[in-house]
Amino acid sequence: MKRQWGMVIDLDRCTGCEACVAACHAENNIATVGDDQAAKGRSMHWIRVERYWEGEFPDVRLRYQPVFCQQCADAPCESVCPVYATYHNPEGLNAQVYNRCVGTRYCGNACPYNVRFFNFFNPVWDKPLNLQFNPDVSVRSVGIMEKCTFCIQRIKTAEIKALAEKRELKDGEFNPACVQSCPANAMVFGDLDDPQSEVARLAQSNRATKLLEAVGTEPNVICLRSVS
Amino acid sequence: MPVRSVEQLNEDILRPLVRTSWRYYLAVGILGSIVLAAVAAFLYQVYSGVGVSGLNEPVFWGFYITNFVFWIGISHAGTLISAILRLTHAEWRRPVTRCAEAITVFALMIGAAFPIIHLGRPYLFFWLLPYPSERGIWPNFHSPLIWDAFAITTYLTGSTIFLYLPTIPDFALLRDKAHGWRRRLYRSLSLGWTGTPRQWHRLEMAMRIMAVVILPVAVSVHTIVSWDFAMPPVPMWHSTAFGPYFVAGAIFSGIAALIIAMAFLRKAFHLEEYLTPFHFDKLGKLLLLMSLIWGYFIVAERLTIWYGNDSPEMAVYWSSSQGRFTHLFWFMVFCNLLVPFSILSIKHFRTITGTVIASTTVVIGMWIERFLIIVPSLERKYLPYTWGSYRPSWVEITITAGTFAAMALLYMLFSKFVPIISIWEMKLGMRQEAQSPLPIPVETRLPQVVAETNIPASVS
Amino acid sequence: MKAIYGLYPDPASAQRAMNQLRSSTSELGVEPGNIYLSSGEPLDEFDLGWREQRTFMPWLAALGGLIGGTSGYLLVSFTQRAYPQPTGNMPIVALWPTGVIVYELTMLAAILTTLITLFVTARIPDLRGSKLYDPAVSDGKILIGVINPPESAWDELEKRLRAAGAEVVKTFIK
Repeated sequence: MKRQWGMVIDLDRCTGCEACVAACHAENNIATVGDDQAAKGRSMHWIRVERYWEGEFPDVRLRYQPVFCQQCADAPCESVCPVYATYHNPEGLNAQVYNRCVGTRYCGNACPYNVRFFNFFNPVWDKPLNLQFNPDVSVRSVGIMEKCTFCIQRIKTAEIKALAEKRELKDGEFNPACVQSCPANAMVFGDLDDPQSEVARLAQSNRATKLLEAVGTEPNVICLRSVS
Repeated sequence: MPVRSVEQLNEDILRPLVRTSWRYYLAVGILGSIVLAAVAAFLYQVYSGVGVSGLNEPVFWGFYITNFVFWIGISHAGTLISAILRLTHAEWRRPVTRCAEAITVFALMIGAAFPIIHLGRPYLFFWLLPYPSERGIWPNFHSPLIWDAFAITTYLTGSTIFLYLPTIPDFALLRDKAHGWRRRLYRSLSLGWTGTPRQWHRLEMAMRIMAVVILPVAVSVHTIVSWDFAMPPVPMWHSTAFGPYFVAGAIFSGIAALIIAMAFLRKAFHLEEYLTPFHFDKLGKLLLLMSLIWGYFIVAERLTIWYGNDSPEMAVYWSSSQGRFTHLFWFMVFCNLLVPFSILSIKHFRTITGTVIASTTVVIGMWIERFLIIVPSLERKYLPYTWGSYRPSWVEITITAGTFAAMALLYMLFSKFVPIISIWEMKLGMRQEAQSPLPIPVETRLPQVVAETNIPASVS
Repeated sequence: MKAIYGLYPDPASAQRAMNQLRSSTSELGVEPGNIYLSSGEPLDEFDLGWREQRTFMPWLAALGGLIGGTSGYLLVSFTQRAYPQPTGNMPIVALWPTGVIVYELTMLAAILTTLITLFVTARIPDLRGSKLYDPAVSDGKILIGVINPPESAWDELEKRLRAAGAEVVKTFIK
């Protein structure tokens, strides 16, 4: 069935708590790289919350922007990979195939959002995090690129379950880890091609905007922001 | 002009193959150690991970890709000199072609190693080659890296053949003069060449075709390398001018490298009669021309970006006009424009020493130029939160030093086994010049041969 | 193979020898195709070689290039259609990337065809060394000789080769 998975982020609701970041690390077996490596700029947060200060004192405002793979329809990262380690899957996701990656890091350069991450070393988990792997997600080794997959393991699990039960997937039946964990309900996930889904409805909002739309990547993540 | 007989010519050009001084062994030893250190550094990187370099997010490419582009650029020297000068029948190219073609082949080999060195999983580099794999997939032909693989393979094959073909008659000469294992080596390399008119004609025809074919290949290679940067939407990379800009820069750095190599060969092998100030003067003028063309491209790029005032591009622009790369940028302009222009535009300074000084600064300046194309853009992409900075680690510096040592080493080994000046082409040129009814300007003459009898064109 | 040849110090005397040999082909029963010339550098401007100028090498190189370009196109279109994976919203077989690959393979094929044509038509590699040759050619001497001449003509040939100005006349047996 032809789907276009997408997300809507309500920036007016986001509090910058970064629960989504922690949940993503837990769900997707992402290692923390440690102080030294983070200082060198090698942190691997598939979703990160960017914080921008706006205005001059005393009218200072804080703006939060969660950024993760936008699963672009015209993804610049896909065409530059020489070994097809990233390609557009039939459900509209930018799929990452870890086994094919040889580590040219070209996709990382091509991504305008800088949401692609490279395993500069073999990931290490300090105790007791080494007991907390998600068995549905592979652990990547050194030399491989990785990025947000919209928790494709959860998508596949739900689809297989729906197939086994001979029914259609219901909107809101499952969510990626970040959406699930958001205390402010700022994130909504669903099928943008399904006119009944909440995400398609919210995407029509007059507060809708896309990140770096002018670059022409056609992202599938819509941000809701009131411009004041 | 000094008088040279054929025997003298043979002896001069073959002397490096016959006699080896302790200085040669010392140089090979030093260069070999640096290369070994670089190999060790690379193996350490394969063992530990690319994290031992200075790369990070967002600067995924740094010294390695700088070296890649730099060495592929250097490789354009040989093609330009050899192919264009052959096609235009410029006689002064005769002593220069082989050392230029050798630079091309070795620089290509070194440059082509870098796409493997910088990989996260370098032991799987062969997945970029088109072969029927058990996984059922082929390379992604949309990717500029695959275009690189095809272009560099074609250029390397073509350049090696271009270097090898005119060497066959010289290998035949060496086969006739050598003894022992050297004789067996040269017998294989000369392929049983006997010098019949048919063989000569076919060889010259093949050289002519190769010269015509290798030129568009050379242009395409560095254009495709530039497209590694120009294709993705990165600020100050995504520029239509990159193709011609890189080709011009490649020819520029290539000529500079050739001048340095020639000056070194002249001194080390006492080839003062063959590589004359005239050659350096001519190449110096070419270098000046390329310096001006390079300057033109820099102005065209920077003016357009500054005038357009596009925010993401201006962020990158400012990093080299006001930010942390400012000093490096102006040093590059000093090396690539100021010094070459001052030295090479004044005939009095366009001596061998002058051109070598200008060429050295150009080689340094062009390396910096490749670095300044790659790193500032990656440091400042679209989202300011993700801006980063890059500092090379000892691993990258060691490997970079290793490539310069490897180039020098390969060149030294080459010149020990192959005559660095094409003997038969020199003899042919000398004979044609002596027979020419037109007066030839003194400086352009090849080493003259004295006519001992009244028969003209006496080669004895 | 038996041959008799002379070594000449310069192209002028070599030309004399060649003229002598050519004019005496019927007289001495020497085949024109058995007259042999070997030199250390090409001697195009002298009418020493017979007309070896006809060659199809450029045409063969162009043909080879055409074959290479076609194979490039077939490689790109077949393999990408066999396992189609959309990337970057580009077509599975995109025009420009296909063009680049076709161009490079055209040039590579033209280069390799030239090399192969050279080897075949110049009859190298000849590692057994069965052709007539003398190392003095590397010192600038020009070798002019006759391969497998009739026994009766042997002495006469030797006389004429010497008369034309040969420094030395030798026999070659292999």
